[in-house]
This record gives sequence, C-alpha cells and structure tokens, in this order.
Amino acid sequence: MIATSQRFTKLDNMIDELHSLFDRWSSDGVFSSELEEHAVALLRLSVHEWIANLIQHADFQGQDPEVILDIIPNGRTVTCVIQDNSAGFDVAKHLRIRMEKLERLPERGMGLLMLNAATDYFEYSRSTSGLHRLEFSVSADVDPWLNIPF
Amino acid sequence: MQATSMSFFVEPVNADTAVIKIGQALDFRNSAEFKTTAQEQVRAGIQNFILDFTDTGILDSTGLGSVFSLYRQVSPLSGQVVFASVSRPVQVVVQLTRTYKVFRQFPTVDAAREGVR
Repeated sequence: MIATSQRFTKLDNMIDELHSLFDRWSSDGVFSSELEEHAVALLRLSVHEWIANLIQHADFQGQDPEVILDIIPNGRTVTCVIQDNSAGFDVAKHLRIRMEKLERLPERGMGLLMLNAATDYFEYSRSTSGLHRLEFSVSADVDPWLNIPF
Repeated sequence: MQATSMSFFVEPVNADTAVIKIGQALDFRNSAEFKTTAQEQVRAGIQNFILDFTDTGILDSTGLGSVFSLYRQVSPLSGQVVFASVSRPVQVVVQLTRTYKVFRQFPTVDAAREGVR
C-alpha cells in the first residue's frame, strides 16, 4: 500500500484541489481494490466535510493557512490524518450539541455528524508540532448510518 | 422553454414540475444559489422537483441541507422532491443518511418524469 500526503495553503481553491487529488489518487491506484469504491467515496466525503469546516469556520489567527492531508491505506481500511495551523475548536462539545439539537430535516449542522457516522473512529488533538490534528479511519466492512430525524 | 441560473440548469416539465440539473457539485459553495433557484421555481408555481444528479461528484452536508429545505417548502403543498440518475458519490450520502426514505429515486430523468405525473 502507498501512503500519500498533500499540503494545502490556499483556502479559496482547497476543495477543488482536494477533489482533483482524489481523482488522481484513484486513477494512480493509491486505493486498493480491497478498499472498494464505496469506502473511497466515504473517505472523500469525510475529508471534504472537515476541509469545508476549516474553510468556513476555522480561525487561522492571521497566519497563512496550512493544511496537511495524509492518507494511509491498509487493506480494507484506510486511515486519514489532517493537520492544520488554525486555533482549533472543541470538537467533542460541538458534536454533542449537534447531536442534541438535530432538528427534523436539518438545513445546517450535519457536517460533523456525517464525519462521525462515516468513520470507524475519529480523534482530534493538538500535536507536538503545535498543529491541530484530526485522525480517523474508514472501513469497507461497515455500512455506516447517520440517524437524521425525518 | 429552458432557463439557466448561475450554475443550475432548470427545465420545466409541465406547469407544476421541473428538472434541476445539479451539475458537478451541490455543496457549501453553491447551496445558497440552489435555494434561490428552487425558491424562484416555487414562486412560479412549481411543486414537484426532479433533481438530476447525473454529473454530480460532490453532495455534502450543506448541499443535502438545501435539498431538505426545498422538501420542507414543497411538502405542505403536496409537492415532491425526487432524485434521478444518482451518481456514486451522491448514492453514498443517500445511503449514509438513509434519505432514500424521504426522496424517491429513479434510474433516469425520463423515468422520474413519468413517475411524478
């Protein structure tokens, strides 16, 4: 398996850059056939949701933004690490609030919940280098489900 | 007659039904525009919406939220929102959120045109 990494520095085209990268990784065979297309799509969605969250809400405190994405495939599972130089936020608190206040057919506030549901686990911490670090994994062996009230 | 919004192509089917071609993405970058496009159609009397996801590589939580918003708007009018020609990335979101319970899916836009009559 090939571990791969990418550094992003421009918020305005980060989403386009991200999806172009996924297209290239897919055609270059970074993701094994064991992982299955469904799991790669879940991985892509999860990364998109987090980057979208950074673009919309993160406070980079006047610094040039830096986001580093690492993808580590391992058979039918893939691990992803996303580090950034923003001020960070209390993910656990936000997730709890979103879960408690999720309204019927919600218009906003599903991003973190989708990330949480799509991943086997996710951990958010401040790394020794001072960057904020999100780590999660996605598996081809689960059929994840986010319970949205209809 | 066909109408084009800034990024969403709208094709009327009849007096109360229209197809909205979603294009490459419905996400946090263009969801407000989608809502504006849909609201214009609702004001013009459209109650049934066929969302054509043929070319859609990205549907994120904000994009899905804007579809929920449209559904909440038209369902009291006995209107429908249906999904047509759902691409793999969109299907992943539909499956993750179980929204197939709310939005009927059709394999093609033509099948959806027949289905919502």
